[in-house]
Amino acid sequence: MTAVALKGLAARKLRALSTILAVLLGVALVAGTYILTDTINRSFDDIFTTALEGTDVVVTPREVVSQEGSEPPPFSEALLARVERVPGVEKAEGGIFSLVRITDAKGEPLGQGFAPQFAVSAASAPFEALTYVEGRAPRTASEAALDESNAEQAGIAIGDRVGVVGEGPLKLFRVVGLNRLGDTSTGGSSTVTLTLPEAQRIAGKAGELDQIAIAAADGVSPDELERRVAAVLPPTVQAETGQQNAERLTDEIASDLGFLRTALLVFAGIALVVGGFQIFNTFSITVAQRVREFGLLRTLGASRGQVLRVVLLEALLIGLLGAALGLLAGFGFAAGINALFEASGIDLPNTGLVFETRTLIVSLALGIGVTLVAAVTPALRATRVSPMAALLAAALPERRRSGRVLLAVATLLGLGGLAMLLAGLFGGGSAGQAAGLMGAGSAAILFAASLLSPRLVRPLAAVAGWPLERLRGLTGRLARENAMRKPGRTAVTSAALMIGLALVVFVTVFAAGLNKSIASAIDTIFQNDITVQSTDGFSPIPSTIARDVAGVEGVGDVGSIRFSFAKVGDAAGQQRVAGVDPTTIGGVFDFEFVEGSDATLRELTPSAALVDDGYAESNGIAVGDTVALLTPTGERPRFEVIGTIDDQTDFLGSFVIDQAAMASDFGEERDTYVLVGVAPGADAAAVEQRVKRLVDDRYPSAEALDQEELKRSQEQQINGLLNLIYALLALAVVVSIFGIVNTLALSIHERTRELGMLRAVGMTRRQVRRMIRYEAVITALIGALLGTALGVLFAALISRPLADEGFELAYPVGTLLVILALAALAGVVAAIGPARRASRLDVLEALSYE
Amino acid sequence: MSEQPTAATAGGDTAGAIVAATDLRRRYGEGEAAVDALDGVTTAFERGGFAAIMGPSGSGKSTLMHLLAGLDRPTGGSVRLDGVELAGLDDGKLTQLRRDKLGFVFQFFNLLPVLTAEENIVLPLSIAGRKPDREWLEQLISIVGLGDRRDHRPAELSGGQQQRVAVARALVARPAVVFADEPTGNLDSRSSEEVLELLRRSVDEFGQTVVMVTHEAHAAAYADRLVVLRDGRVAHDGAAGDEGDVLELMKAVG
Repeated sequence: MTAVALKGLAARKLRALSTILAVLLGVALVAGTYILTDTINRSFDDIFTTALEGTDVVVTPREVVSQEGSEPPPFSEALLARVERVPGVEKAEGGIFSLVRITDAKGEPLGQGFAPQFAVSAASAPFEALTYVEGRAPRTASEAALDESNAEQAGIAIGDRVGVVGEGPLKLFRVVGLNRLGDTSTGGSSTVTLTLPEAQRIAGKAGELDQIAIAAADGVSPDELERRVAAVLPPTVQAETGQQNAERLTDEIASDLGFLRTALLVFAGIALVVGGFQIFNTFSITVAQRVREFGLLRTLGASRGQVLRVVLLEALLIGLLGAALGLLAGFGFAAGINALFEASGIDLPNTGLVFETRTLIVSLALGIGVTLVAAVTPALRATRVSPMAALLAAALPERRRSGRVLLAVATLLGLGGLAMLLAGLFGGGSAGQAAGLMGAGSAAILFAASLLSPRLVRPLAAVAGWPLERLRGLTGRLARENAMRKPGRTAVTSAALMIGLALVVFVTVFAAGLNKSIASAIDTIFQNDITVQSTDGFSPIPSTIARDVAGVEGVGDVGSIRFSFAKVGDAAGQQRVAGVDPTTIGGVFDFEFVEGSDATLRELTPSAALVDDGYAESNGIAVGDTVALLTPTGERPRFEVIGTIDDQTDFLGSFVIDQAAMASDFGEERDTYVLVGVAPGADAAAVEQRVKRLVDDRYPSAEALDQEELKRSQEQQINGLLNLIYALLALAVVVSIFGIVNTLALSIHERTRELGMLRAVGMTRRQVRRMIRYEAVITALIGALLGTALGVLFAALISRPLADEGFELAYPVGTLLVILALAALAGVVAAIGPARRASRLDVLEALSYE
Repeated sequence: MSEQPTAATAGGDTAGAIVAATDLRRRYGEGEAAVDALDGVTTAFERGGFAAIMGPSGSGKSTLMHLLAGLDRPTGGSVRLDGVELAGLDDGKLTQLRRDKLGFVFQFFNLLPVLTAEENIVLPLSIAGRKPDREWLEQLISIVGLGDRRDHRPAELSGGQQQRVAVARALVARPAVVFADEPTGNLDSRSSEEVLELLRRSVDEFGQTVVMVTHEAHAAAYADRLVVLRDGRVAHDGAAGDEGDVLELMKAVG
């Protein structure tokens, strides 16, 4: 029986190949994701281990409140003296490690926009982890060393100048050395090495340190020393052995990457589900076509179990081949995704590709599992073939499942999915639970739609086929009829495309809504004319910008907004806190007070706060209450709530406080946005030019934008992410196109004689191709129409609770039409091969074909 | 057209015929395994005649029909159809020729299951993008006796009804020649008679030319003329006569 399965597979090489592809692509993304993230983790592990090689114990600020990517606040330099007095400390040295922007001599930023750039302080032996390839470490306040790979990329040599912007205007340094960290690439991130005092000054950390590196005296173990050092430290600062610190940093990176991994695996899962649909369809059709073969096997004495095993063995082989090839392709994907990120400006470090056993096991299990599960139902149908089938040209017993049962199951599934989706949206569980519920709910709705789609095939084919029939007469007519001939088959084929397109449409509609909401929020709340922000759109910028811009001729009101994070009581997670200067912000920003008015701003003392009304409502906070916050510096200030605001698009966060309080209690003195108004009577265009020139010249890490440019810059950020999602969803769409190819090829195979007759009575090859192409287009359009409807539905549902945040749904009709057109085009592409084969059929052979 | 209607002609004289084969050869395979399905056949069929081609299995009767209809290409000799030499035509031209000048009735699978009876009848015209002549179509539908079933799909028709639709389809474009390949091979005797009667009427009433391949003497008796092939050559060419004559003739050449 094994031989039968093997021969069966070999006899249908082409079909086997395209079925294998259905498994291959999903598995490739799974394997690629694991390989990519494992590789990134490994390379960061290498970087941290190398960096801490000469360090026995390291002192760093404790992360009291997670700040979403931002560094924890530094600690006082005075701690160094205290640490040095600890017995067993051979040597201790303070260090700075701070995000900055590095530029060339003209102030043009080096490297790519998103790659992080750091200023580090030069260390002495044994702590210095950087090796100098050329030159030496900086010794004076005007000297700097640059990492070798970035110097090379930017064409900077010893003796050239580089600029650094941290907390203050651009400063130029002379390059005296080129260095590197171990053997690893730092993947696009660049470092500039400065003397400690200069690094402190540039980073705005005068009298402060980011870390203290400690070497143990002979006979003192790192663990022992770590305990002794920890004893003299305040609670906001921690001591770790070098190894612990490297492990913690690696773990942090790994958990940051966890999001990337999960996101990629979700897309891989989508591709696998779509692939499963295709495998189900292919096996259903091939089983139907092999009825006589199975009948013959039964006549010759094969048991039902043996027939089942023949089909399942074939599935196993396809799954195994697909998974194995997918694993190989995964290596390609890992490299490809890396390139994709690089193209979007997110450069990730990597050494050689890391291949864990887990990657092998998960990939094989998924590939084989999906194939077998998808093939079980068709295989069971094969066992119902009676031995008589060999003698009669009998059709496969039709599925017994009654329409009513199917309808009930689909309805239940759909309603259950809807309930889960809504529970996720409004249930108020944790973010993870909500996302899980929403994902499961959406999946259930998609499956329900797939189950129902055979019923929808006829009306939808009529809609999609109508223009073709109108324009193309007979070929359009036949294409439509052929698409409706086996509604179940067409439904499964188009459902695969439906899933991919539903998600594409969902993110498209959602992103359009986001863009629209942000644009309208900018219109309503930003009362200023010019906004200064980081070139990346979200990082803090030097606080000197606000002061400098205020001095520009023709500038009126200048207000700034800074951000930090705080924990509230015992609640999990952290809340975003905005800091404003109540004396200046009113002129450039509209708070949209719910309780209180613009006059309330005057009462915003360092011990007062405004609260987002949504947050206040869900946490039972009222005006007059006092809230206690835990800040990143470990302070526990209390604030009296003096008003509530309607925070459009969650721009400000949960609390708004005075910048004086933010400096003293949160240790944050950098602005994120500087909002600039033009003085009444001044020439707005000229003022804008002057502000832009000032920012360009002195602060290359920032940019000044007018309102329209600001909207565009926000849009670009969203669209960048959107393109990434499109690229990943394209995989599922490609798999479903292979599905159309397969179904089409199999259906044509069944209709060989019919095609022969059509050719005999005068249908030209071109007409045959056209007929098949239209059939594919109709199938694709059915999926596209269903997918668009579901995608819009998801977007409408999911955006409901966001309406309070000022989210407005937008329907990008033009984009949706383009998506439909692309789906039709996908049909055309899918039909190329099958149509060519059909048109080249030998008429006589086709006529005598059995 | 200048051809003269002639009486049944013996092989060789191809002038004035609507379709004529000259020294037609068809070899399948190569070398030792080569088989000559047709080994030099010269014959012609005049306009308005009903001819039957018979012969034992492997005699080349189907091959001859396929070559005459431009469905297959000869390895030697020539076919002229309504004044056109088929040898030089490419696939597109041959397709067009089949569409415009020929009608076909096959043994099985004549109809598209997705189209109604009427749509199947006008299929050759639809393919050509032409409108049917309404009067002629109505006449055809009434002749084949499908007046009340014209909107039914093939699955809702009996085998005989399906084959009558196929005949109507072959006639709808008023082709130069209708080729029928075992048109009754799959039918019971009553349905067979109806189909043969139809073909006969098309010759008698509309001057249609029909060439039919069959292995049933009963069917051949409906024809005016009988060509019998044996081993790829013409073994007999003459008047068909009645069923008894045909059987006798077959015995004589067999």
